[in-house]
Amino acid sequence: MKAKIAILAAVAALTFACGGKKDKATLHVYTWADYVKPELVSRFEAENACRIVIDTFDSNEAMYAKLKAGATGYDLITPTSYMVSLLHGQGMLQPLDKALLPNAARVDPDYLAIAIDKAMDHSVPYMITNTGIAYLASKVADFEPTWGMFDRADLKGRMVMLNDMRETIGAALKFLGCSLNSTNPEELEKAKAVVIRWKKNLAKFENEQYKTGIASGEFLLVHGYSGDILQVQAENGDIVFAMPREGGAISCDDLVIPATAKDVKLAHAFINFLHDPRVAAENTEFIQYLCPNKDAYPLLSEKIRSNPGVFLAPEIRAKCEIFADLGDKNALWVAVWDEIKAAK
Amino acid sequence: MRRSRLPFAVLAFVLVFFYLPILILVVNSFNASRFGSGWQGFSLRWYVRLFQEAEIWQAARNTLVIAVSVTLVSLVLGTTAALALHRFAKTRLQRLHYTFIYTPLVVPEILMGISLLMAFVSAGVPLGLTTIFLAHVTFCVSYVALVVLGRLQDFDDAVVEAAQDLGADWWTTARRVLLPMLAPGLAAGALLAFTLSVDDFVITFFVAGPGATTLPIRIYSMIKHGATPLINALSTLLLTLTFLTVGASQRLSKNKLFGGGS
Repeated sequence: MKAKIAILAAVAALTFACGGKKDKATLHVYTWADYVKPELVSRFEAENACRIVIDTFDSNEAMYAKLKAGATGYDLITPTSYMVSLLHGQGMLQPLDKALLPNAARVDPDYLAIAIDKAMDHSVPYMITNTGIAYLASKVADFEPTWGMFDRADLKGRMVMLNDMRETIGAALKFLGCSLNSTNPEELEKAKAVVIRWKKNLAKFENEQYKTGIASGEFLLVHGYSGDILQVQAENGDIVFAMPREGGAISCDDLVIPATAKDVKLAHAFINFLHDPRVAAENTEFIQYLCPNKDAYPLLSEKIRSNPGVFLAPEIRAKCEIFADLGDKNALWVAVWDEIKAAK
Repeated sequence: MRRSRLPFAVLAFVLVFFYLPILILVVNSFNASRFGSGWQGFSLRWYVRLFQEAEIWQAARNTLVIAVSVTLVSLVLGTTAALALHRFAKTRLQRLHYTFIYTPLVVPEILMGISLLMAFVSAGVPLGLTTIFLAHVTFCVSYVALVVLGRLQDFDDAVVEAAQDLGADWWTTARRVLLPMLAPGLAAGALLAFTLSVDDFVITFFVAGPGATTLPIRIYSMIKHGATPLINALSTLLLTLTFLTVGASQRLSKNKLFGGGS
């Protein structure tokens, strides 16, 4: 029996000892995996004599469910904009103290014009990515940057669109010149007809395998996220990313401080640090999403600046939109999407 | 009469389904290509990068600390529960006990995760490795108890009585008779608890606190944003470790339990 008690004691010691080392100030960041350059984290730790602990989540919804159920202890979170609106609506975020964020003035005003939280009252944009079209330059003749490419019968069966209601109906709405946040039943009806027409030319609606598919040449043209496409480009130099001239979707992950944060000051300091132009540029080069910081743009390498996957031309960017929360109109979209999926 | 080929075909089919995906994963972990879209040459770059990722190793450490402590504690609790259930099977209290042991097996994980999280929050327990440990023990105890109970059902109680007749006290009986005879059940229960703890994502995700990211949580997030080949490399290492452990334990148990024979 003594042996068992000894084991129990050892286990207890092992389990509880892991909370130790609390002498330094600690910033708890809750974010996606690999979403900040590790060297930058070390630099901030050294400059501020603190420790950064990063925990990861895999979907906005799961993260929300967890916080909503009462999980606390995180000082800084990076949800996608639509989730930021939801969190803000539930009173789960702190207002930001601008006096502690001098670098917030460097955030790209063109981006803020289309952002949801334009005044940066409770969120500062962190990284943006675009949804557009990627294609194999040597196999797709006469490419034009338009969503109308999905009408091309010569590419039948070799094209893929995202299996995502917001992205795919959104693309059709942009093609028709409407807002991709439209809740107008007539516009949605027209968009539905367009997607059903496109569907005849598609191999499938799909979210993950399209990356492998275009890298191996199985698909010639895909609807996809720029971040993903940039990774595949490193493997197959024939892949080109283009943003349709009608505009498309921009997604943005924001930096927010939850209402329950413990070290609010340090969280502000980290947000400010991430928007230091040199830091923002370095971070963008590393994770290949664009940090919308106007003073960082000139510091970016030519390779990034000339890549439409990261850096959109201003006139196209002006036509892009961010997905807003649909609220109670969500059901309308779901019904349209169901009909599209069921259509032959 | 010729033997039917059907059983062999079925066996081959099952083996392919079991092991082909694992084989593909292992092969791809040595593929220079990032997307496994084709073989682009043998490379150890993912392993090299893996060893530079401090966060992944922290997550691996968290996972192992939890899994080992969970296995030990749930082994003790589960075995005592099984002994009580076996010995007093007919009483109403033990029937209730059995229901309690059984419930965690049928409750959906997501429900268990959310309810444990709410319980911890309302009790004011700070989330962290401790809460993951408690949550894992909660469901691992049930698995251990049922596995050991299965072993006890074939157990000849006369052996225990014989030991006592021969003058063994309770502790000696437990150590020299009960434990060796239950050892295969205990080993199976321990392995099951360990695997479940290492594997668990849903419950862990909810009860994990700041600084307590485990491997499954980290891996899910990497699928969305990070590099999948790193996951392949990590899985290959874990698989190797698992096969080595299982191989070693089989070898040890053969020698010990059956006196080195067979």
